[in-house]
Amino acid sequence: MHIHRLEKIWLAIGVAMLFVFLGVIGVGAFAMGMQPPTGHHTIDPEKVSETYPFNNPGLEQVGENEYNAYMIAYAFGFKPAKMEVPLGAKVHFQVTSPDVVHGFQITGTTVNLMAVPGEVNHYTYTFDKPGEYLVLCNEYCGAGHEFMATTIIVK
Amino acid sequence: MSRDRSDKEKDTLKGTFTSVMLLGGFIALSWLGVFILFINR
Repeated sequence: MHIHRLEKIWLAIGVAMLFVFLGVIGVGAFAMGMQPPTGHHTIDPEKVSETYPFNNPGLEQVGENEYNAYMIAYAFGFKPAKMEVPLGAKVHFQVTSPDVVHGFQITGTTVNLMAVPGEVNHYTYTFDKPGEYLVLCNEYCGAGHEFMATTIIVK
Repeated sequence: MSRDRSDKEKDTLKGTFTSVMLLGGFIALSWLGVFILFINR
């Protein structure tokens, strides 16, 4: 089979790009432990407000400057309504929803989860920069969707 | 005869090569941009 010289060049570049993209995903997943924000952690969506830890949403200290943040995204808001996080804290978010699918995005960070009724999604983030972080719902969830926001204060 | 044909092919693939490189460059740069954004956040 005859392959044109220029064709060989672009095929080689294309294959190399594929390996780079897949390599970055592979290293992230297997060497750095990055994974989708789910932990096969389920909850009865009708009993979210009675089930530990979501009966008391908020921060819980689990180590030196390390916290669990239990948060509920509901129509139309977030619990807790306002949260303060110490600077440099490593926060393990656990997010769920008692009604419909919501989004949980902390703007300017890599935190971007879906809050799915019946599921508790997990994500860990370290807050290295002080400031006010806007939290938004980025899944259209109903008439009050655009009012669904809260703030995380890092100081 | 066969030389003529391969010369002709080379000419006709130059434009294709340029457009493939432009598209490839665009894909690589956008990927890099998103990746850098992710790393910095």
